[in-house]
Amino acid sequence: MRRDYHDLLGGFALALFGLAVAGHSASSLDFGTLRQMGPGFFPLVLGLCLGGLGLLVALPAWWRQGAPGAFHLPEFAAVLLAILVFALLMSRAGLIPATALSVLIATLPAPQRGWRWRLVLALIVTVMTWAIFSAGLGMTIPLFPWSR
Amino acid sequence: MFDGLIQGFATALDPAVLIYSLFGVLLGTFVGVIPGIGAMATISLLLPLTYYISPEAALVMLAGVYYGSQYGGAVASVLLRLPGTPQSAVTTLDGYPMAQQGKAGLALFISMWSSFVGSILGIVLLVVLAGWLSGLATRFGAADYAAMMVLGLVAASTVGSDNAAKSLSMVVLGLILGCIGTDINSGAQRLTLGWTELMDGVNLVALAMGLFGVSEVINNIRKADAHGPPDKVTFRQMLPNRREMWEMTPPTLRGTAIGSFFGALPGTGSTISSFLSYAFERRISRTPERFGKGALEGVAAPEAANNSAAITAFVPTLTLGIPGDPIMALLLGALIIHGIQPGPMMLEQRPDMFWGLVVSFGIGNLFLLILNLPLIGIWVSILRIPFRWLYPAILIFVCLGVYSVRGSTFDLVMVAGIGAAGYLLTLARFNLALLLLGFVLGPLIEVNLRRALLISRGDPMVFLERPIAAGFVIASALLIVLSIWQAIRGRKTGG
Repeated sequence: MRRDYHDLLGGFALALFGLAVAGHSASSLDFGTLRQMGPGFFPLVLGLCLGGLGLLVALPAWWRQGAPGAFHLPEFAAVLLAILVFALLMSRAGLIPATALSVLIATLPAPQRGWRWRLVLALIVTVMTWAIFSAGLGMTIPLFPWSR
Repeated sequence: MFDGLIQGFATALDPAVLIYSLFGVLLGTFVGVIPGIGAMATISLLLPLTYYISPEAALVMLAGVYYGSQYGGAVASVLLRLPGTPQSAVTTLDGYPMAQQGKAGLALFISMWSSFVGSILGIVLLVVLAGWLSGLATRFGAADYAAMMVLGLVAASTVGSDNAAKSLSMVVLGLILGCIGTDINSGAQRLTLGWTELMDGVNLVALAMGLFGVSEVINNIRKADAHGPPDKVTFRQMLPNRREMWEMTPPTLRGTAIGSFFGALPGTGSTISSFLSYAFERRISRTPERFGKGALEGVAAPEAANNSAAITAFVPTLTLGIPGDPIMALLLGALIIHGIQPGPMMLEQRPDMFWGLVVSFGIGNLFLLILNLPLIGIWVSILRIPFRWLYPAILIFVCLGVYSVRGSTFDLVMVAGIGAAGYLLTLARFNLALLLLGFVLGPLIEVNLRRALLISRGDPMVFLERPIAAGFVIASALLIVLSIWQAIRGRKTGG
């Protein structure tokens, strides 16, 4: 029997997150009273709400068929890696290497073979980024590893 | 009002503001045409750039992106049966069949024309309603505000949603994310887990870009290029004959009426109103069997509805400071970044801002109509650019946009994390737009709720004793009861 796994997993994940928020707020933040609400009041109530709603999403999904959507793993991994590489290189190596390398990583899952278009695209985007942000808007960001 | 209009023309015709307005509508049309990136992602991309320009220019530009994208969205809907924006999803139902019958040009003309009519009538309503509502809103107390925002969130997650529990859980998740940071009353650190980077709360730009930039890109790399090239459309093919012009007028007006009503209600925006107006047209039609097979009412009504809703959505945003939909939430965020607090006082304190925006709507829409008809060939050819040439640039803009806010590597890592979570949530068909709406409204609700209960000495009956607040509370309760009833009935009939 097929179940609606997306709602099942999504609902449980949200419920867990909500209960974690509620538990954390209850243990470390002051609840206060209705008249003088403490900082913990809102997060605790909201966490409990999310816990309940998450279960409301997950439980009916157990008895229901779902239409699973496809998880695009290569795209997922490449896009996140491109951002993290950008984050890592931006403050250490400067704008130009960060942009060029991130574009190359981001193009990895694209449905088109060959390296030439990837290099051309990396060049175009790098020049465009420099022209808009550094030259055009005058943002003060280091361009190369040696220009800081 | 004439003083206001004159002031508005002075603001909107300022060369810098005019250029940013035109840039906004053109960029909006461009991203509207391209499936895979919409107004939401673009406005979040532009948010950091608005630090560098005046608040008037920023608001006018961001608003231009919004209504410009409504014009562009129809192009891909009609030619490829792929909605360029969520608001134009309904247009695929009858627009694509029209294109298959060789009437693509006519379908595009109808969508542009009814968009224009809807916008212009929406502007008139915006002026009338804003004046009336800002007078009314001066009588609003803290309890009324809190109740109204709760109604907005409940309406956004129950009206037109097939699973209210899923929608509400996104709203609550957004509210929780809005709690992160330093508590304004006590100074306590809430949910920051000791990270000093989170003391100011989750950055709006990082959240919006992660949710709408990153997760949309991941989602569309494989999908966006899966279609064939679109047919060519020329200006000559677009022109309707007199009978067609006559036939499209009543549905355009009905669509405008539905759109401006639901646009002005907080919580229900242009996407919902386009669906509702389509359903309405089919119900009142004498020949409902034509719908889905190229009925021109099925293009005219929803396109008029989504554009007029996009304009009247500014009513609650500007007069009450309550964003009606997530895009308004972003615009509100942009105004707050510039130190302008929208609300009942804005019409009096910053009339130049309000009227400048109104006039820029008129100019922008006229510009879109005049320019888009002859330029239709160019917009169609944009659909030939493969998405793989665009998305790496989008990603770099996301990264730099977030980085430029405060030069923080932490924010970039957070964008990656939010993007990952956002992609997984869209995979499970959770509505991320509601998350953002909750995030922006959360702190406002909390402040007003606390204030209301402090004034009433902790007596929650204050929400039922004040007539305005009670109205909102009862309406919210009714919506929730209605959606529970629908869920139970759906299970009985649907199995």
